[in-house]
Amino acid sequence: MTPFRAMRRGYEARFEPVERVVLAKVARDVSAMLREEAGLDLFADGDDPGPSSHHAPGKGQAWANGLLAPDELTDADLARLTGVTGVGRVPTDPAAQRLLPDASKDDADIADEFRRLTQNDVAQAKVDRLEAFAALLDLPSGEDAPEPLGRHGAPPPVRVPREDAEQFAGALTDVRLVIAERLGLKTDDQVMQLTDEIMWDRQAGREIPVATDGRAARRFWSGVFVAAGYAQETLMDVMLAELRGRRPLA
Amino acid sequence: MTTSPLPLLVPLGSAGTAVEEDTEEALASGIADPWVTIVWNDPVNLMSYVTYVFESYFGYPRAKAERLMTQVHKNGRAVVSSGGRERMEVDVQAMHGYGLWATLQESGARGAA
Repeated sequence: MTPFRAMRRGYEARFEPVERVVLAKVARDVSAMLREEAGLDLFADGDDPGPSSHHAPGKGQAWANGLLAPDELTDADLARLTGVTGVGRVPTDPAAQRLLPDASKDDADIADEFRRLTQNDVAQAKVDRLEAFAALLDLPSGEDAPEPLGRHGAPPPVRVPREDAEQFAGALTDVRLVIAERLGLKTDDQVMQLTDEIMWDRQAGREIPVATDGRAARRFWSGVFVAAGYAQETLMDVMLAELRGRRPLA
Repeated sequence: MTTSPLPLLVPLGSAGTAVEEDTEEALASGIADPWVTIVWNDPVNLMSYVTYVFESYFGYPRAKAERLMTQVHKNGRAVVSSGGRERMEVDVQAMHGYGLWATLQESGARGAA
């Protein structure tokens, strides 16, 4: 991945194809988790919301904990049977709790009311931008390709239009928050140590292993976490520079 | 909050300005507004992103945004806005949208930590 740069038509960076595929997949997994946890599908009119949307991330070892979907009633089943909808309910998944946190530390009434009033909107906005983020990262294919692949088969750079950049950065944040929760990263020191390890491996030319066991999975997701952080940091560099350039010094 | 994941990137060097407004002081006195929005530290969000949010959403000048970001990072939290309850609910919702953990409380309330 190269740093984001400010170009005429937006902010551009070159991602390795695997980086694009993995980040798009994680974003869609986070989106599905959020839909499920916030009960968004219960509000979709008409169509049968179908079985649990907890699909991909629960399979295999990639997510060490939390996302394995138990074979039990889906939320849609529960809603049909009980009439209870997911309005403002507190998410059970710790990662979803981080994306939809309490608005008060010590006043449950404030937190409950806030959740009731805002949670669906916040969750839906996150779902929408995660999906848009994934779509932007999808590798161009066939006739959809906006420009031909380069000589070495390299895909064109990821181009984030300026008007979409804040949403893109927000989706990166949500992805990083969820991976950090899965990895059990609780402190600044833990995050910095993990970042150092990944960067050290990268400088030493060690490949990130395919996730075949728990340890390899951890390494894999740590690499994704660091890559997403690099994308966000370099995007922030150019966005902050332009934001400040538009405003008078104060 | 963390700095850049890459050593080649320079962390926010100018963020070391003195912390002028202590959260406790801000909560205890000097704020006429009845409610405040507090942003809490977390290990994931980048300092640059938090600063961007404070500059972009609140429209704060760079120095104030960086001072508040440093407060969040070092003290674990900072009061980032104050006003009526409904206004604070709007701000907290926006912060959650950005992925920052924010809470609201009455400005005279104690013991939020």
